[in-house]
Amino acid sequence: MKHLKSIVLVAVVILLGAVYLLPAVPANAQSSAALSITPKKSYVIEPGKSVDDTLVIRNLDATNSLDLTLRVVDFTFTDNGGTPKLFLDPNTAQTTWSLKSYLTVPETVSVPAGASKTLNISVKIPANHGAGSYYSAIVYSAGAPSGGGNVGLSASGVTLVFTQIPGQVTENLALKKFGAYDDSAKGDISGYQSILDKQPMTIGYTLENTGNVTEAPAGSITLKDLFGRETKITEVNPTGSLALIGQTRTYTACIKLASQNVDFSGTKTTASSCVSPGLWPGYYHATLDLFYGQNGNLTQEITGAASFWYLPLWFVITFLVLLAIIIIVVWRLYVGIRRQLTGMQSRRSLRRRR
Amino acid sequence: MQHRLLRFHGFAFIKWRHVWSEEFLALLLALFVFVAPASASTRLENRSLFMTSSEAGKTTSYTVGFRYMTPTPINSVDMLFCVSPIPYEACVTPPGLDASAAVLSNQTGETGYSILSESVNHIVLSRSQIAIPASTPSSYTFDTIKNPTDTSQAFSIRLQTHTSSDATGTQVDFGSVRGQVEPGIYIETQVPPQLIFCLAQEVELGCTGTNDTYYTDMGQLDPALTLVAKSQMAVGTNATAGFAITAVGTPLAAGTNVIDGLTAPTASQAGVNQFGINLVQNTAPAIGGDPEGTFANATPTADYSIPNEYKYVSGDVVASSTNVSLMKKFTVSYIVNSNANLHAGVYSTTITYIASGRF
Repeated sequence: MKHLKSIVLVAVVILLGAVYLLPAVPANAQSSAALSITPKKSYVIEPGKSVDDTLVIRNLDATNSLDLTLRVVDFTFTDNGGTPKLFLDPNTAQTTWSLKSYLTVPETVSVPAGASKTLNISVKIPANHGAGSYYSAIVYSAGAPSGGGNVGLSASGVTLVFTQIPGQVTENLALKKFGAYDDSAKGDISGYQSILDKQPMTIGYTLENTGNVTEAPAGSITLKDLFGRETKITEVNPTGSLALIGQTRTYTACIKLASQNVDFSGTKTTASSCVSPGLWPGYYHATLDLFYGQNGNLTQEITGAASFWYLPLWFVITFLVLLAIIIIVVWRLYVGIRRQLTGMQSRRSLRRRR
Repeated sequence: MQHRLLRFHGFAFIKWRHVWSEEFLALLLALFVFVAPASASTRLENRSLFMTSSEAGKTTSYTVGFRYMTPTPINSVDMLFCVSPIPYEACVTPPGLDASAAVLSNQTGETGYSILSESVNHIVLSRSQIAIPASTPSSYTFDTIKNPTDTSQAFSIRLQTHTSSDATGTQVDFGSVRGQVEPGIYIETQVPPQLIFCLAQEVELGCTGTNDTYYTDMGQLDPALTLVAKSQMAVGTNATAGFAITAVGTPLAAGTNVIDGLTAPTASQAGVNQFGINLVQNTAPAIGGDPEGTFANATPTADYSIPNEYKYVSGDVVASSTNVSLMKKFTVSYIVNSNANLHAGVYSTTITYIASGRF
């Protein structure tokens, strides 16, 4: 009994001491959901070598810390555009282009309010690894919110990581479609148009990648009107967009590109957008000349041709009105001349009879 | 009309038959189709470029490979480094490139060449022997070429072969090889791309502040009422490929009972089990707001930008930009409708909005 009293006394003292000495931590401390991350990283790594790099995460919340869980997931393409489709389910089978096994990132990170943190990451490619493109994504999750309610909100950020392993690769891009493109279709094949009532701003081309590497084609498009006047589009892939393995990707190029310097979060950056190219109504013929090929592999070329009519409503109406006027004038002239000729013939035949 | 055509035929092909016959005209047309221009150049085949290092700004070795096609004696090869690979376009030198100190260190296939002249973006190879090139592939390795520094665009080397020894006169064959430099790991010469994203019930446009509320109680489910809620998110990037926001999470559920998300844009209808969101101002019910921010690049996805129509499919992209986008604020509206037979329970979900870069 005496022994039991001593044990209880010691336990109470330890408990009181712990409560007094340890700092108070709120049970449901809310993490920030305002962050700045690096959206994309690209590396070229030879087999047997590794790259050590850093990622900077900024917590934009001035009052709460940013507590993130990091994990690496595979991804592919969502559609004909450049939006990644993340395989978030941990049970998803690893893709053939997965970088998961070679990419090392910390499991968690806590960034103090209003501060930044630099994370160390590394990509290590085993010796004798085959050449090709490998890619995965680092997902930063802020975790589920506490506090109840029907709808909870959680923020996550993603860094796409691409690694090119040099060597002999299989490259094959095939041109599927080319022509005037309505950019609002956002990569969909339905955006191609052969007769337009609005002035086209972009020319599109759709490529199917059946190789084992990602591709970023470069080249030019030449647009020629009915009178032979040429418009050159030299920036056919101004953002260096990639066609992923197995993807059919639609690229769009502005017929006329305008760039402006803008301030983004304290840094100067250049933003580009399509502006009116000032095309006249009529028939246009476009030719495409693309080049692609990884370092040390054959440079391959894709050519294509397409045509379209730019026929705004005002032009069609004006044309039809003018055509109607011409037909009426010609018809009246024809009738007038015919009458005169008939009259002359009648007079001649009258004279002959006399 | 017919007699006029007959008169024209008689005039053209009977009266003038001694000058042109129908057979002669047919032959003339066939010649237009089949006769190729005599001076046409052929493209060099199996063209390739290998850079020992593709790191931007690094001095390295280039190996240019190709196969001569035309069986004509070739005495010089012209190599012009340009941004565009198209031969007839004006040549813009790739920024940072320097081939003025290039040394021809190796050659295979057609050999006997030496550097006749070189400048920042131009190398001319010349040889004195007069030989018809073999059809086997040839390669030429140049040391001490400084890589371009612009990682955002590819560059090319325009190749031309000539009979003359100084790369003048008519070209025999032509073609281009393509190269691309990658950023160095430790040297950042450009502003690093960043993606800014914040989320809460209410956020500031520039993500400078939020109300730190990450959940909302929509109230008591009632078949006669549409329950509503809203949240906000702001996003921006200086990455040239833009961004995408994906919404992920199960629809509202209480245990195994689920109020399914609308799989297509649909109007809100009280008394029917519905869960949906959109990113624009609505009047039925009156909730939400249109995107805020001056830049037009970032827009809600088509299915989530129809006023008074709602949808929710986990994994859908709800907003995106295909280019650099200054900060833009989106207001997300949530609607929940329930029928009278819905099992009692606390229906809840957590929706994760994932902001990612694009490729």
